[in-house]
Order: sequence, then structure tokens, then C-alpha cells
Amino acid sequence: MSQMNGEGTVHARGLRKSFGERVVLDSIDLDVASGEIVCIIGPSGSGKSTLLRCVDGLEEIDRGVLRVNGQDLGFRETPRAYQALKRKEVAAQRTRIGMVFQSFNLFPNMTAQENVMSGPVLVKGAPKAESRRRADELLTSVGLQGHGDHYPWQLSGGQQQRVAIARSLAMDPSVMLFDEPTSALDPERVGEVLAVMKDLAHRGMTMLIATHEMGFAREVADTVIFMDGGLVVEKGSPADVLGNPQEPRTCKFLETVL
Amino acid sequence: MTTTSESVRKDRDKQDLPELDATVKPRVHRRGALEYFAWLCCALVALGVVRTVFTNENYQWDVVAQYVTAETVLRGLVMTVVLTVLCMTFGALLGLLLAVLRVSPLRPVRILAGAYITFFRGTPVLVQLIFWFNIAALYPHLAIGIPFTDVSQDIDVNRLISATTAAVVGLSLNQAAYQAEIFRGGFASVDKGQIEAADSLGMSRGTKLRRIIVPQSMPTIVPATGNQFIGMFKETSLVSVLGVGELLMSVQLIYARTYQTIPLLIVACVWYLVMTLLLSYPQSLIEKKFSRTRARVSNGPAAVPTQTEMMGEAK
Repeated sequence: MSQMNGEGTVHARGLRKSFGERVVLDSIDLDVASGEIVCIIGPSGSGKSTLLRCVDGLEEIDRGVLRVNGQDLGFRETPRAYQALKRKEVAAQRTRIGMVFQSFNLFPNMTAQENVMSGPVLVKGAPKAESRRRADELLTSVGLQGHGDHYPWQLSGGQQQRVAIARSLAMDPSVMLFDEPTSALDPERVGEVLAVMKDLAHRGMTMLIATHEMGFAREVADTVIFMDGGLVVEKGSPADVLGNPQEPRTCKFLETVL
Repeated sequence: MTTTSESVRKDRDKQDLPELDATVKPRVHRRGALEYFAWLCCALVALGVVRTVFTNENYQWDVVAQYVTAETVLRGLVMTVVLTVLCMTFGALLGLLLAVLRVSPLRPVRILAGAYITFFRGTPVLVQLIFWFNIAALYPHLAIGIPFTDVSQDIDVNRLISATTAAVVGLSLNQAAYQAEIFRGGFASVDKGQIEAADSLGMSRGTKLRRIIVPQSMPTIVPATGNQFIGMFKETSLVSVLGVGELLMSVQLIYARTYQTIPLLIVACVWYLVMTLLLSYPQSLIEKKFSRTRARVSNGPAAVPTQTEMMGEAK
């Protein structure tokens, strides 16, 4: 039933999402291959965050096709309609998609280690001792060895965001989504988070990243997507989109941010 | 012009001491005449109260002293404490259940919980108490059994509902409605991003509630519940109308016999006040503890100070 061959891919066709009257995503087509790094750029309100939230299942799309890891997200396709899946089935799909938020959203009632363990233990029912060991490994891999006992309020923004990345990775996701992961950070803390993301990219993780960090996009992305007004305006390699944009709208945006 | 220069001269005459350097001069704040007047009024009122309390013999302080530790009174006090603890426990448990139902994804469940809360908050608790006491008039027999079978046990409601059970049932059900609103307010205080993070991990509704929402809403819930506890302690005096032998009832029983109404009411007040003060100490500690955690709990680097902390700074 589950198509294991689609693991790590995202596929969208004619995706549409509106909040009331306002259309925030319109006829979005997207194809992300396994291991591909896609950076989504664009002004605030262009729909980049909403697109990522749809791919994570936090928002339900109005119309169109949305397949993540080779499965229709939250629904089952029948000849005449998409039928909603059971809550448990949706939760199972979501465990394979990791999301990193702009505001970190670490659980403040848990230590860094407990945050990282929360997915495996509370969702998958993994044994605690093993999860604790795994959490320490993950914290080490994001450069936070020895911070396991710290509560979120004892950590800097950059450290919190790295814990949040480790928390997502603990679920062994096939796709990682980053919703402006460095926008809430002090400038001197941005680098440490980007370094962790770069490391992750080199290890072959599929990543969709909404970002304002053009340097990062140029260096790490396989594909750059420029969005504006809920539409994909331009799509291509970083060299093309950032270095030689074809659309006047893209040119104008890049002029203001670079 | 003249007044200004005069006052300056007067100031200088007063000060025989050498002038201080401008950087170390203390800043003296004005004390308005209004403040002195307020202090005077306060002192006069206090004096008047103390005077009448000690000179008016109708207070009968000797009677107060005689009854304040009387066995009947102490037994009433114990009853009051037991009622408070029981009703708060049942009320909090049922309130939590109601609050969870109130945020259920199923609309009919939400409506039912909402209707319960509206009814119990919308009618006076005294009326509810009398209603429960007389419930046997409405349902004289209660049958507990398995539906669609002959297996059942008939219960005489008149015997089941004594004054004390009516009191516990009435106060608990009423308390549950208020407690449900406190829990709901607490749940609503949890940041939306927390729920999204939990959803994103694929957490089930129950896990989310137990591990994320409830622990994080405690800073809002616990202090408010402490207030309710103190309120409930005083509210139990209402059940004296049902003849439950709590604190107020026990002093009423005595003054019905001795006609020393005022001194015995003072006895009751002394105990209510003592207990309330005893309870408000841990309450203030709890409030302080949780207001501190709340400042930390907020996400991101910019923690918003809580109201009490801001007030503390202003002082």
C-alpha cells in the first residue's frame, strides 16, 4: 500500500490554499527528488511558510495533489474524491516529515534531552534508555554535547533551534522542512544553525527551506524557488535564479535583499 | 518673582551645612498634604473602631473567648474543612473532564459541556443546594441496573440524599463549572506553536493534552485554583441552610440556645479569617513560584515579564 519508492520525495500539482476569501497559494507545482535541497525565497506573505505548513499537514489544502514520501498527505485517493485518513494514519505520515519552526517551539516543560526524546518515546513508544542515548548522540551531532539537562530558557536562540532540529531528526524523517529557521535569531547566532543544516544536506536529507539567507541558498541549494503572491514565479538552479533571474519580479526582489 | 527669591533666601538660611556636590545630592520627593490627610483619616477610623470594640459591652468578648475553642465549634470547623477538601477535589476532577470535553473535536460533546457550564454558573449556588436537597421530590426512586434487562436495584432517593450528600453534590457540581473555565483558560494560554510542534511529531490528542498542554497551563491554573479553594472555604457556610453541621451551623445551634448571637458570629468569623489567612500564605508562595516559571516558559529570547513582576519592579 505504501509506496516505499517515493520515500523522501515531495510532489505537488495544482495545489491551492486559501484562508477565507484570500488565496495564499495558487496552482503550485512542485517536484522534490529524494536528497534534493530546495530553498524557497520570496517576500513576506508570498506563501512560502504556508506551502511548508501544507507539506507538514498543519494546513489542509483546498484543492490539488500533494504527495509526501510517495503518499497523499492526510487523504486517500479514490476515483471521485480524496477521502480523509484516520487520525492515527495521518500521525504516522507526519512522523516521517520533520518540521523546524521560526520560533523553535521547543517544549518549555522539558529539558533539551527530553525534547529530543519526546517524539520517539511519546509517539513511537520507544524504550527510554535507548532514546536517551540516541538523543545525546543527536545533541552531539548538532554541537550541543553536555547541554542535555538544560531547559530551553537556559539556552540561546541558536542553541534552541539546534535542539529543535535534533528533535525533528530523532523521528528519522525522510523529509525535513525549515520555516525561516534563522529569522528569529541574533545575527551572530545564524551561522551555527546554518552549519548544522549544511551538515544535514551533505548527508543526503531531502530538505525544503524557506529562507532569507541568500548566501546559504546559493551555496547549499540544488534548486531555488522564488515565490510571490502565492505563485511560483521562478524556479531553477541557484546560479540561474539568484545570478541570472529572468522574471522582472525576481530581479526586483533580489535587488532589495542583496 | 518676589516670592521665589524669598523662598530661595529662606532655604539658604535654613542650611548651615556646607553645600553638597551636585552629583551626590539626594533627590527628595514631595509629600503632598493629601497623603498626610489620608494618614490622619486612617488613624481616626482605626481609633474609632478599636474604641468601640473595647468599650461596647455588647461584643461580649468573654463569651467569644469561652466558645472559640468549644467542642461544638471545633467539630463544625472540621466539618467545614472536610467539606472544602471534598468539594474542591470532586469539583477539580469533574472540571478537568468538562474542560477536556469543551475542547473536543466533536461538536455535540462541546455543546453538552458548554450547556452544563452555562447552567451551573448561571444559577445561584444557594438555589442549587436547596434543589439537590429536595431532589427526591423530583425523582423519588433511583434504579441502578442494566438497560433492557430485569436486573436492577431500587434506591430510595430520600434516604440517599442526606443534608451532607446534598451539600457535597451541590457544591462540587457548581465548583466543577467554575473550575472547567479555569482549566479552559489555562489550555488557551498555551502557545499555538506548541500544539503545532506536537502535531508535527505526530502526537496523539491524549499525549498532547497530558504531556504538553496540561503541564504548560499549570502556571495559569494553579494560582486560580488556589483562589477558588479559599473561596470554597467560605462558600461552605451556605450549606448551613440545609442543616449541615459546619462552622456557621454549629455557632447558630449555640446562639439559638443562649441568644448570644453576636459573640458567636464573631467566633465563626475568627475561624474563617484564621483559616483564610493560613491558606493565603501557601497561595501567595504558589503564585510567586508560577509567575516566575511563566516568564521563563515563553518561547524565544524575549520573555515577557508577568504582571506581578512588573508591579514588583514599579514598587
